[in-house]
Amino acid sequence: MTTFLSQILGKPVWDSTGQRVGSCADILVEDIASGFPLVRAMALKNGNGEPRLIPAESISWLAPSIILNSVDPPPYEPVGDEVWLAKQVLDRQVVDTDGRRLVRVNDLQLVRANADGPYCLGGVDVGGLGLLRRLGVANPTARLYKVLGKRVPHSIVPWSEVAPLQAQEPLRLKVSRDRISGLRPADIAQIVTELDRPMGEALLNTLSTETIADAMEEIEPELQASIIGTMAPEKAADVLEEMGPDEAADLLGDLHPSQRSRLLNLMQDEDAVDIQKLLSYPDDTAGGIMTTEYATIPDGLTVGEALDHLRQSDLAQEDEALYYVYVLDEHDQLLGVVGLRDLVLSPADRPVREIMEDDPITVNPLQPQNEVGRIVARYNLLAVPVVDEQKVMHGIVTVDDAIDAIIPTAWKKRLPHFF
Amino acid sequence: MAFRKLLNRGQLIPRPVRRIAQRVLFFLSIMGPGLITASADNDAAGVATYSMVGSYYGYGMLWVILWITVGEVLVQEMAARMGAVTGKGLTDLIRERFGVKPALLVIGGLVLANLGTTAAQFAGIAASAQLFGLPHYLVVPLAAVLVWWLVVHGSYERVEKVLLVLSLYAVAYIIAAFRVNPPWAEVARATLVPTIKWEGGFMLALLATFGTTMTPWGAAYMQATVADKGVKIKDFAYTRMDVVVGATLGNVVSAFVILCTAATLFARGIRVEGAEEAALALEPIAGAWARQLFAGGLMGASLLAAVVLPLATTYAVCEAFGWERGVNHSFGDAPWFFGLYTAMIVVSALVVLIPGLPLFQLMWLSQVVNAVLLPAVMVYMLLLANNKEIMGQWINPRWVNVLSVILSLMIVVATVVMLVDLIF
Repeated sequence: MTTFLSQILGKPVWDSTGQRVGSCADILVEDIASGFPLVRAMALKNGNGEPRLIPAESISWLAPSIILNSVDPPPYEPVGDEVWLAKQVLDRQVVDTDGRRLVRVNDLQLVRANADGPYCLGGVDVGGLGLLRRLGVANPTARLYKVLGKRVPHSIVPWSEVAPLQAQEPLRLKVSRDRISGLRPADIAQIVTELDRPMGEALLNTLSTETIADAMEEIEPELQASIIGTMAPEKAADVLEEMGPDEAADLLGDLHPSQRSRLLNLMQDEDAVDIQKLLSYPDDTAGGIMTTEYATIPDGLTVGEALDHLRQSDLAQEDEALYYVYVLDEHDQLLGVVGLRDLVLSPADRPVREIMEDDPITVNPLQPQNEVGRIVARYNLLAVPVVDEQKVMHGIVTVDDAIDAIIPTAWKKRLPHFF
Repeated sequence: MAFRKLLNRGQLIPRPVRRIAQRVLFFLSIMGPGLITASADNDAAGVATYSMVGSYYGYGMLWVILWITVGEVLVQEMAARMGAVTGKGLTDLIRERFGVKPALLVIGGLVLANLGTTAAQFAGIAASAQLFGLPHYLVVPLAAVLVWWLVVHGSYERVEKVLLVLSLYAVAYIIAAFRVNPPWAEVARATLVPTIKWEGGFMLALLATFGTTMTPWGAAYMQATVADKGVKIKDFAYTRMDVVVGATLGNVVSAFVILCTAATLFARGIRVEGAEEAALALEPIAGAWARQLFAGGLMGASLLAAVVLPLATTYAVCEAFGWERGVNHSFGDAPWFFGLYTAMIVVSALVVLIPGLPLFQLMWLSQVVNAVLLPAVMVYMLLLANNKEIMGQWINPRWVNVLSVILSLMIVVATVVMLVDLIF
């Protein structure tokens, strides 16, 4: 019992006596939040003028032809939260939360469980067949598939997996938020990048600060700056605090100086100081790409004490990857480095000094990024510490940031997004 | 022409190149990049059209350039404004407002026109090869493979600089024109006073000239980039300035190509039927080397456009239908993208290899398609740009509508006259 919106739009509507009362202009469904929203009403167009709304209870059939069950149905009084399928959903972009991608609504599927049950919105046709149906050539194509002995490729996403996007209607966007915020940051970033800007920014703004921060780290710099610009300064500062200091510094570096200092002022002091330090190095040097969040332990601990220390340490909590633990003296000078693996696998009473590498490979803050990349690649490091002439440690460059310089820029970043 | 917009927005020109370019043209500190892009505008299709027009009708068609400049500013500004207000591309808006069929029609038209223009680029490559005395049956397939490979393997940026510098040859037309010292009074009169011949040939030339500059693709591209860059409508004044300067500079170069061919070839009774004659227009500046200068420049500009056009077109189509796109996907992930991209290059190159095909005519005739398509797309643009629901307070002012309709009618009338004259 399924029918498609494209098959009813513009079709004549007949009343119970077989009289033509107009043509179907749109279908209204209840609020989009529910899994499979019920059809509430049909917009009926008769000549010029405003369409008339007919309640769903008065509709007997939508297919093969649209037949009402009375002669003069009472008008439907809109509650205000109805969704107009043709006007607001058809041909728009929606997020397929199961496939984690942005798709376009080629057609909408209306289903009813039994012959006189209510119609509800079943799913979104995002496939080529939906497009062909709109062009009126779906049936010949389906027949062609049958002749070739192949299954007709349906690509219908159930409505419960769909997050509609309407930049002008923040209320609806909030409903979508719950479905979207479950996605991975990289997927959210991808969707935001592919959306047009007002919509992408509106979507991102409905998410929580942590989700925004995670997604922001995956977004290309130019778009990052634009998105930050659309946020309230307080919220922007919160997002920047949540981001890694290296990423936040890169982002701030792209902003106008006045905007940058305003945001830095709004941020917590410790985060702001870290970022300001990072901002003082050129972009393409070790200092410019390093992060200031890494795990350290003081000298002279045993393995057991070191692990205890890490559990208590804020710095270790913030370390994104925690591949290596750095042993520093009281002047923050780097004494050695020990892999977390060695730490975990060694007996608790063994001194860290015995298992640490006391002549670690380091880079200095002004070393060019591509040199850092080559060093990381040559020695198979997951991160390399950044130390100055006095051996004072300032940060680490992780492998992902280091090799960005030696892997050619993807073409995609250079291409504009069309249409 | 379509791909000027690609360059104009600076999206595809790496910053160092623009810096070098600006140093070279330091005296034109603002116009530097603009002039480069304006010269790159004179790809195979552009130069072919202007050379043909100049040699057949002398100064008689200079007035068209004036109108085209107004038209280009009009269309581009409208598109850019829609991009800034809605953040969406043109076909996106058409699809959301008018449904699948119109969107498909417009996209189909764009692809067809761009396929023609890409074929024109390969014709330019072939013509340039012939000028160098190389067999074009060898050079064209090689160029096609090169173009495909450069993009798929992402090493295009490295050669882009060379191609851009080569396409600077269009500036030579400006210098050459001043050397010839044409009757400036007559030139000024021909620019300001329209002269029309009601015959098919003239209309064809008129449409081709329109099609080099005022194109649906140009509008779609402009809107997409403005939307993509996230230009806010409150900063729109800068973008509008950009549109006006870009269009003016581009058309100044075009006008000088016509002027130069008119002064050198038309005056001597030479009609441009091929690249051979077209190259002669550069004699006042390059003397015996005119042929090499022309061939090298044509090759650079054509290659540049042959890379950019199929890529941008494919990208646009895939985005409109929601297919995976981008060269950093594998073929299996993005079959439509690679399929379409490869098909555009292969088809364009194959068309050029048809024996006995008049290459030079192909170059400028391809532009007629662009012009003929414009009024149809213009209808949708005007409907969108006058919709209060979409544009709010930024709907078209009345005079923009009036001028747009006049220009569209000019194209429609020219098309009808051309068809009537060609058929009867």
